[in-house]
Amino acid sequence: MIFFEFAKRSIRLHWLRSLLAVLGIVIGVMAISSMGILGNSLVLSVGEALSDVGDTVVVYPHAGGFGNGPPVQTDTVITGRQVQQIERAVGVNDVIPLHVSADRIEVGGEMGVVQVYGMDTADIPLLLEVTQGVYLRGASGALVGQMLAETYDLGVGSRITVGDQSLRVAGILTERGVGFDINPDRAVIVSDQWYRSVYGEADYDQVIVKVRNLEEIEEVKHDIDAALNRRETEVDIFDTRMILETILETFSTISTFTTAIGGISLVVAGVSIFNVQMMSVTERTREVGIIRSIGTRRREVMKMFLYEAFLLGFIGSAIGGILSFGGGYLALLVMLQDTTFLFAPSSLVYIPYGMLFGIGTSLISGVYPAWKAANLNPIEALRYE
Amino acid sequence: MSTDQPIIRLDHVSKIYPLPFGDVTALDDVSLDVEPGAFIAVMGPSGSGKSTLLNVIGCLDVPTKGDLFITGRNIGELSDDELTDLRRDTLGFIFQQFNLIPLLTVRENVEYPLVLKTRRRESEGLVEALTRRVGLEEELLPHKPSELSGGQQQRVAIARALVNDPEILLCDEPTGNLDTKTGTLIMELLTEVNGQGKTIIMVTHDPRIAEYAHRTINLVDGKIV
Ligand SMILES: Nc1ncnc2c1ncn2[C@@H]1O[C@H](COP(=O)(O)OP(=O)(O)OP(=O)(O)O)[C@@H](O)[C@H]1O
Ligand SMILES: [Mg+2]
Repeated sequence: MIFFEFAKRSIRLHWLRSLLAVLGIVIGVMAISSMGILGNSLVLSVGEALSDVGDTVVVYPHAGGFGNGPPVQTDTVITGRQVQQIERAVGVNDVIPLHVSADRIEVGGEMGVVQVYGMDTADIPLLLEVTQGVYLRGASGALVGQMLAETYDLGVGSRITVGDQSLRVAGILTERGVGFDINPDRAVIVSDQWYRSVYGEADYDQVIVKVRNLEEIEEVKHDIDAALNRRETEVDIFDTRMILETILETFSTISTFTTAIGGISLVVAGVSIFNVQMMSVTERTREVGIIRSIGTRRREVMKMFLYEAFLLGFIGSAIGGILSFGGGYLALLVMLQDTTFLFAPSSLVYIPYGMLFGIGTSLISGVYPAWKAANLNPIEALRYE
Repeated sequence: MSTDQPIIRLDHVSKIYPLPFGDVTALDDVSLDVEPGAFIAVMGPSGSGKSTLLNVIGCLDVPTKGDLFITGRNIGELSDDELTDLRRDTLGFIFQQFNLIPLLTVRENVEYPLVLKTRRRESEGLVEALTRRVGLEEELLPHKPSELSGGQQQRVAIARALVNDPEILLCDEPTGNLDTKTGTLIMELLTEVNGQGKTIIMVTHDPRIAEYAHRTINLVDGKIV
């Protein structure tokens, strides 16, 4: 390819300004790729942490005036009567009332604090999954979260002391990740009879409604609201899908935004390619006159200059693509302190994506200069000094 | 095409450059027939339209009026690509400034029009044969044009003009940038090439150079006198 050869030599001849133009593309591609990787990792890490399936409506006792997120701790409760109202309101959907508190835990002399959930043993399989052992059958016994089990080296049959009551571990729960309803991974789950007899509390702290048909989620929320909050706000109602979506949406927006900022640096790089190509065309006007006069077609001249722009973009994108692994790693390390999602396919895809943008920007920037060169008048170009 | 048909025919050709302070008539109703194998010198004072005539014949410039036929084809009916291909295949250009391509080596310069035509970079010894024919040392082939003397560069330009075996050579002051001795050598080369059947049209200021031609045309104010 003689025209490719022209492009190569022209770049080599003007290596310094070519290098600067390439550097622009390198930075642009790195910015897009690294920001893309960062944004994607952000979404992935949030998505992983929030394992909720999204079919859950959570009802908390109304927290009072401030804040509108799930309350961390309150003195208010949901009474048995309110639970019945909820049950009536939601029809066929499962209603799971929960007692929630924190207590001391002791295992073989090791002490700590643990979250304790009390619930009807029949409800447990609706909400949680046992990986070892069995679900609770009678009033005694406990299920422990996976991470709690790891921390205290618990197995099925181990004995733990919660408060000053001894409990036998009947089963260990499958790890579930951070949720908006309950967080059982570091918790102890007991029957509500046990809970009531130990803590002497009959009221509930939280009610979970599992909605069978996802489309009905809004309706269910509305029905609960209508049943309990008609005269005054007694409960706060959240649905996990909404929370999840809001958070993911926020992170996606951030991710798009940062990637777009990376795109701006590519625009700057495009301007520099444009400059270099205009310079190249001006300097080589006479050469264009020569090759046109001895039989080079317009398209061929155009090709010659487009190859040059392409080569600059390709070299810049290749270098930028390679460096993006480093750039992405660094961005993740600094921003997330966690680089596990660097090699996720949905992260890595931002590298060819950035490279494509780099090459595309160069080509687009090179079109006008190349067109200009191709349409020079051969005689005037020959006379050009 | 029969042998007695002119290889170049200008039929009442005029070239007018419109300028803000009045049009310039560079060629004024020029008619000319050139037989195949002719060697024509074009002379005349500066600004008389010699280069314009050559550019029009070379399909680099289009006549404002009149018709031009090259090997029987009316060039007014050809597209830009067709004109370009005509320059590549049928016409050879030799310029006063040599006009070699600085990015390419001597070898690449010589084979460039061939590569354009065949899209392949192999010349089967054609480049070597041509360099010998124009009296150029083969050792110069890998060099860049800037490393050559003026006479050597003009020989490269002639080799390049010949590589596609064109029927017509157009030379605009081919010896204008050369000393007398080198100029004589170049003219001997062009005479030889003409002897091998190429039609040559050459612009020159120098009457001694014009003597190499069979026929001399004088231009004054864009008219043949
Ligand atoms: N592109 C152009 N635009 C305007 N006028 C032009 C152009 N090219 C040539 N001319 C005019 O046309 C006339 C003929 O020019 P041309 O270059 O053909 O002369 P020439 O005989 O080759 O002169 P010289 O011996 O100095 O090379 C001149 O008056 C010149 O100024
Ligand atoms: Mg002239």
